[in-house]
Amino acid sequence: MSTGLLLLSLCPAIAMTDTVIHSLWMSAGVILVSLLSTIARDVLDRSSASTATSPKGAVRLLRALLISSVLTAAFEAGLLAVSPTASASMGIYSPLIAVNVLVIADRQPAARSLARSASGALGRGLAVSASLLVVAIFREALGAGTITLFPAGAFRGTIIVGPLVDQPVRALGLAGGALLCLGYLAGALQAIATRRASAASEGEKPR
Amino acid sequence: MSWEATLLTFALIDNVILSRLLGVDPYGMPGSLRSAAAAGGLFTILMAASAVAGSVLETQVLAPFGLEALRTPAFVLLVAAFAAALHGLAARRAPAMLEEAGVSLGRTATSTAVLGVVLIASRGGLDAGRALLAGLGAGAGFFLVTSMMTAIRLRLEVEPVPRALRGFPLQLVTAALMAYAFLAFDRGFLARFLGR
Repeated sequence: MSTGLLLLSLCPAIAMTDTVIHSLWMSAGVILVSLLSTIARDVLDRSSASTATSPKGAVRLLRALLISSVLTAAFEAGLLAVSPTASASMGIYSPLIAVNVLVIADRQPAARSLARSASGALGRGLAVSASLLVVAIFREALGAGTITLFPAGAFRGTIIVGPLVDQPVRALGLAGGALLCLGYLAGALQAIATRRASAASEGEKPR
Repeated sequence: MSWEATLLTFALIDNVILSRLLGVDPYGMPGSLRSAAAAGGLFTILMAASAVAGSVLETQVLAPFGLEALRTPAFVLLVAAFAAALHGLAARRAPAMLEEAGVSLGRTATSTAVLGVVLIASRGGLDAGRALLAGLGAGAGFFLVTSMMTAIRLRLEVEPVPRALRGFPLQLVTAALMAYAFLAFDRGFLARFLGR
């Protein structure tokens, strides 16, 4: 997955990195909808290609939008049943998963088999989730001095991060903090990509 | 809330890019100020029209018939339909503007900014008139911030900046600083500005 594509998929989801638990719910949505919509689109593409009536352009886009939005609605209904609090806190951002996964999928080359498409979608979902989690841990730990997870048994679901809880960097908890973290994450990814490219070109040079 | 307050709230206080974090696109950075203005104009029209239609759909169809579960597919398809209609209209009436904007049908139909405005208007229970103002305000805010970010990026292109931050990372850091600056636009500012 390229750096640009990872950033493209992170941008609409970055608002849900104010707490770690929100980023985990968002990640679950992105992985599920991305995986299932890729499988559904791939199956339809392969079946329509064999009948020589392959849809083009706008019809294809409409079909993809319909699949991803229905799957997103199913995820929203499931989330509402499992955790109404999480559903309410995700607000307008859970429906946006529908267009987010579509934008990512459209920029990927077609895979040779259904299994490869599915594993590619799963990989993209996991990459997005890992990036969201890193940004969320950084923002919540520094911005609020806590890390919010799922409560279980005696564990109330919140880890206190030392003295930061009394003197947090509140600016990181705001919308600007999300953009700032994403900007520096993008810079780090760009630096790694540039270093890898230069190392590869050095290796190709004849001695 | 008065009509001026609705417009200013959606343009400055609850800005779609800087407050809601929607519409930031690493592949969609306008190349020039003219391009940013053309794209901003198209998105403003699309946001206003979609917000009105979304509000009507919510209040006249989805809520009365208990079809709230279909809200996401309905709004996604609604935005796509309006994007297609706007592209068709612009291609016939203002092809130069469409070319200058450099936005494809796929990008407008899957815009998180437009869908976000529709969702905010419908979930906020805004009637059609308020939704129109919300859409226009959000579009104006989108237009303003995109133009400002493009102008800053064009200036920074000739400045010495760390290689790792060149391009989209610096654009995000710029947006972050603008988001902090826009915190000055709050309810207190609105009350003072409108003299209430």
